[in-house]
Amino acid sequence: MMFQAGAVQLLCLTASSGVPLFCRGRGACRQLPFSVIGSLNGVHMFGSSQDAQLSSTVTEWGRVLWRVYHESITLIAVSSEEGASELYLERLLENVFSCMVLILGLDDLANIKNVERLKRDLRSCYKLIDSFLEVPNEDVGDLTHCADCLIPQEPTILQECLDGFSQAAESEFGCLLVDGKIVVATEKWWRLAPQEVVLLSFLVRSLGGSSSRDYPVFLPQGSPNVPHRLLCFQLLAGVDVCVLCGPTPSLQKVERELVCRFWSPLIDCLRICVRLKGRCFPGTVSIPQGILGLLLINRDNSRALCSIQGFQESAQSSASFSQERRRELLRQFYTLATTRYFLAEPQGEKHRALTEEFQFGFTHEPVQCYLVTDDCKCFGIQTPQYQCFVLTTDSVPTFALRSLATRTLTALTTQTAF
Amino acid sequence: MSRRLVPGCLVLSDWYRSAESKEFFSSILYKNRRKHFGLLEGPALPLKLSVDTVSYKIFVCGKSGVGKTAFVAKLAGLEVPSMHHETTGIQTTVVFWPVKLRENGRVLMFRLQFWDCGENAIRRFDHLLPACRDQADAMLLLFSFTDRSSFDDLFNQLARLSGPENGMLKLVVGTKFDQFMHTDVTEKELREFQQAWAVPVFRFQSSVSGVSQPALEDVAPLLNGLAEHLWNQDQLAVSLQTEVGVC
Repeated sequence: MMFQAGAVQLLCLTASSGVPLFCRGRGACRQLPFSVIGSLNGVHMFGSSQDAQLSSTVTEWGRVLWRVYHESITLIAVSSEEGASELYLERLLENVFSCMVLILGLDDLANIKNVERLKRDLRSCYKLIDSFLEVPNEDVGDLTHCADCLIPQEPTILQECLDGFSQAAESEFGCLLVDGKIVVATEKWWRLAPQEVVLLSFLVRSLGGSSSRDYPVFLPQGSPNVPHRLLCFQLLAGVDVCVLCGPTPSLQKVERELVCRFWSPLIDCLRICVRLKGRCFPGTVSIPQGILGLLLINRDNSRALCSIQGFQESAQSSASFSQERRRELLRQFYTLATTRYFLAEPQGEKHRALTEEFQFGFTHEPVQCYLVTDDCKCFGIQTPQYQCFVLTTDSVPTFALRSLATRTLTALTTQTAF
Repeated sequence: MSRRLVPGCLVLSDWYRSAESKEFFSSILYKNRRKHFGLLEGPALPLKLSVDTVSYKIFVCGKSGVGKTAFVAKLAGLEVPSMHHETTGIQTTVVFWPVKLRENGRVLMFRLQFWDCGENAIRRFDHLLPACRDQADAMLLLFSFTDRSSFDDLFNQLARLSGPENGMLKLVVGTKFDQFMHTDVTEKELREFQQAWAVPVFRFQSSVSGVSQPALEDVAPLLNGLAEHLWNQDQLAVSLQTEVGVC
């Protein structure tokens, strides 16, 4: 078989002529032969010539998804991964197109003038696009479209500092991140579209290594044709602060005059934040025993907290559940729960049309769900404001899952300002 | 003004190999790899060894594709990108490098901030070039040994730059020197160029030897040379100032 199990390939072509623009992949796979790419595109084009929109298909070895953006760019995702969900691939394509807009602007993508030039320009998007394909994925924001957050021990002092810093940099949009997770952000930053917030977090993490950046960005929803400047400063290894601004001030001015003045006094506080990565919430919040990982989503403000480390647990469970595995299990359970049961996400008609029939059979809205497997258990709760998913060992009795999850949700929401 | 510096006349060029330098260099290494510092950090030295830090802004320029980003990445001990792509906007990288002065045996910590910016981005966005040049202490003009046109372009660049920014230190670096099989620029041409323009020229191997991180030997000649020229420029500026003061 040409396509081995456990691989994802992403193809990008021009919609009008079917010229391949790029091809990215993960897992054990070589680039698909040109003829296969041509056929995949051809079958979609054939559909559209007959007024039929081909959006996805499932074969015995995998799943294929097609999307066309602005009648100009076709993206095709091909996955042979076990349990690759449509939700994931759909979000992947959305994210990838947004990456392209973020870096190149919508104009260049919607009106392709020179294909060779576009191909070359698209290379600067690879690093960001690859961060969405990476395994293990560090965050869950690509799937949830909620920004991954880290709750610091002292949010107020960091928030004040960030607000002051952003103001001094003539910007209302500022954000402090640890390892791509938002620690604090200004009010205006949170008013960006949730997907843009996620995208910017991924961008900042993919820029790692450099000390500071002056990066032109096009906001896919807020400003797809007029670039803004994203000024980004690495305060400590893994800790970045960034602001979105207009033509002034210069990178050098902010770096020399503001960065140290505002952030040096908080260096210890920032170091404490770095130590929280993985756990993502302060040690003072106590979580019931038996939990291996949790994902908490605030539906009102589209923020997510994914925690997979720092729980009280036995040596055996910490050995058999690597951090990657925990994150992957939570991602899969989230996908299952949100595509089958918790459908209240305001997705609009489009999403409804793409979901499977049987969900419409529900006359009620499920608020809890659980899953028991060979070696672990999962429980999900939905309230008007939150969704909480917990992953536990199989030693936790199933009847206790509900109270465990409820207590976890209560502990996190009452003891932090999440 | 004596622009010609014999390499090693101001700084000890193989000091990094000596036992004495070990402690200084261990402050910029972590597990035998180069340590990365955020803007709020710097190398931590024991009190008895504490040294002065001197900071410089260095603008790296050159035709698109000569390997500016790879060059900086290698100097900083970062992962060298395997495939070329245009750098989006400005990217700065801080490199710390301890240097021992020949004259008085004083050790200085050089904090070199390299400003790298994609050529196409410069053309697309007006604010980038002035931002890179503003208050820069030195300019590294890069050309690639495998790209003749990038070498020819140097003449234009130097001619263009010989305007108001004459005082800024300029150095030329030839990248991809390892790919000598494909070289488009001869040694003779390089010598002539060096004489005509009186600009120091460095040869640099951009690719990473083997899988491991680039060793200090790979970057020491360039970093020592750069530090030497920067220090020399500072000394000249100081002596000029004192002369003016006396008058």
